[in-house]
Amino acid sequence: MRTPPLAPTLPVDMGEGPFALTTDGATKRYGSIRALDGLNLKVPFGAVYVLVGPNGAGKTTLLQVLMNLKRANKGQVSVLGMDARREGPRVRAQIGYVPEEHRLGYPWMKVGRLLEHCSVYHPTWDWDYANQLVSLLEIDRERKCGHLSKGNVRRVQLLLALAHRPTLLLLDEPTDGLDHVARDRTLGLLAGHLADTTTTALISTHRVYEIERLVDHVGVIRDGRLLGQVPLEDLRRMLRRYSADVPEGQEPREWEMEGMVALRPGLGRAVEWTVWGEEERVVTDLTVAGATVRDCAPLTVDEAATALLSTWEAS
Amino acid sequence: MRLSLDTEDNRPIYIQIVDEVRRGLARGTLGPEDPLPSVRELAASLRINPRTVMQAYAALEREGVVYVQRGKGTYVSADVRPDERERPQLAREVARRAMREARRSGLDPGDLIGALKELAEDPGPDGKEGKG
Repeated sequence: MRTPPLAPTLPVDMGEGPFALTTDGATKRYGSIRALDGLNLKVPFGAVYVLVGPNGAGKTTLLQVLMNLKRANKGQVSVLGMDARREGPRVRAQIGYVPEEHRLGYPWMKVGRLLEHCSVYHPTWDWDYANQLVSLLEIDRERKCGHLSKGNVRRVQLLLALAHRPTLLLLDEPTDGLDHVARDRTLGLLAGHLADTTTTALISTHRVYEIERLVDHVGVIRDGRLLGQVPLEDLRRMLRRYSADVPEGQEPREWEMEGMVALRPGLGRAVEWTVWGEEERVVTDLTVAGATVRDCAPLTVDEAATALLSTWEAS
Repeated sequence: MRLSLDTEDNRPIYIQIVDEVRRGLARGTLGPEDPLPSVRELAASLRINPRTVMQAYAALEREGVVYVQRGKGTYVSADVRPDERERPQLAREVARRAMREARRSGLDPGDLIGALKELAEDPGPDGKEGKG
């Protein structure tokens, strides 16, 4: 796939809220590297917001800053109306968090003991539900935390995140390391959680296709900044793939247009454009230029992420 | 009620759910006063956002296909007439998709209608393999 010289600009303005999570100019430096560079996140109450971006874009750091496990050098960080930097422990008690790292705090502890230990930190811990999760996720309470495989650590982390029925979930690659069955059950658990509890979720993942149907907001992050954050319906409306036939003798190169994300030559005179813009405008542009538009279809979130990130990678 | 979604279908999911309910009515697997799954049940089994299910049920309620009994659940209306409404609606939806595919392939409606008539008279070996 060839990429155009000018990448489109996506909206980042999410309106007036109310928001469950906001960062205002959040900056986090590690030495000379800016992991977050004046990032303005806005996650509306009740949204299921997926954060996509290349490796090292700042996704994990952003979640850690929201948890106040890492302190932002600059900027405001607000979680459920609280200042994350001042009220870290209170903030964390209300969040179901799955960290990126597959590690449980106390390697010598048995899983059953760890659950008892963690339950104390959450006033809303629900033992009936925790026990259900133990059997659904096939967790062995007798195993030592330090002896668990990557996937089994993830299962325990998911249990710890959900068992206190939080109204806010911060999930960093939640299905990483899980086998097919565990992954499928986890998606069912997340859907069930959203139905039981009015929940806001911020999910960072490279496997967007897995959570495609749970998501209703999308944020694209790169180099510590948000390049776009939009409700899913806007993404589906504005970012589309157009299949069209171009006149004989014309090279697709001459067809670059405003908001173009990708251009892929098909067989013969067929060309496929991925363009950010109102459908009417794009179709008009193509038609005026002499093309016959055959089809126009929205992209999946996964396809959209891939297309947008490839474009920005190239520019 | 078993309900499944087609991963190849790029229409919004709530519309796919609405269609699946219509399909149940048209086939007769779903009838008057039958309960629909709860929002939680359907969301968890399809691994989708519960709001999408609510959106689908609200659309069906507006059309009078289902009614909601507060605190109990969602049921198929007593007076649904699948032959008068759901079947023609479904047929239009199938036709719309076929037309779209035809357009993508550079065919015009006449080509499609011709092929359909021919197939209806003699489905050929492929016709027998088609799912119901």
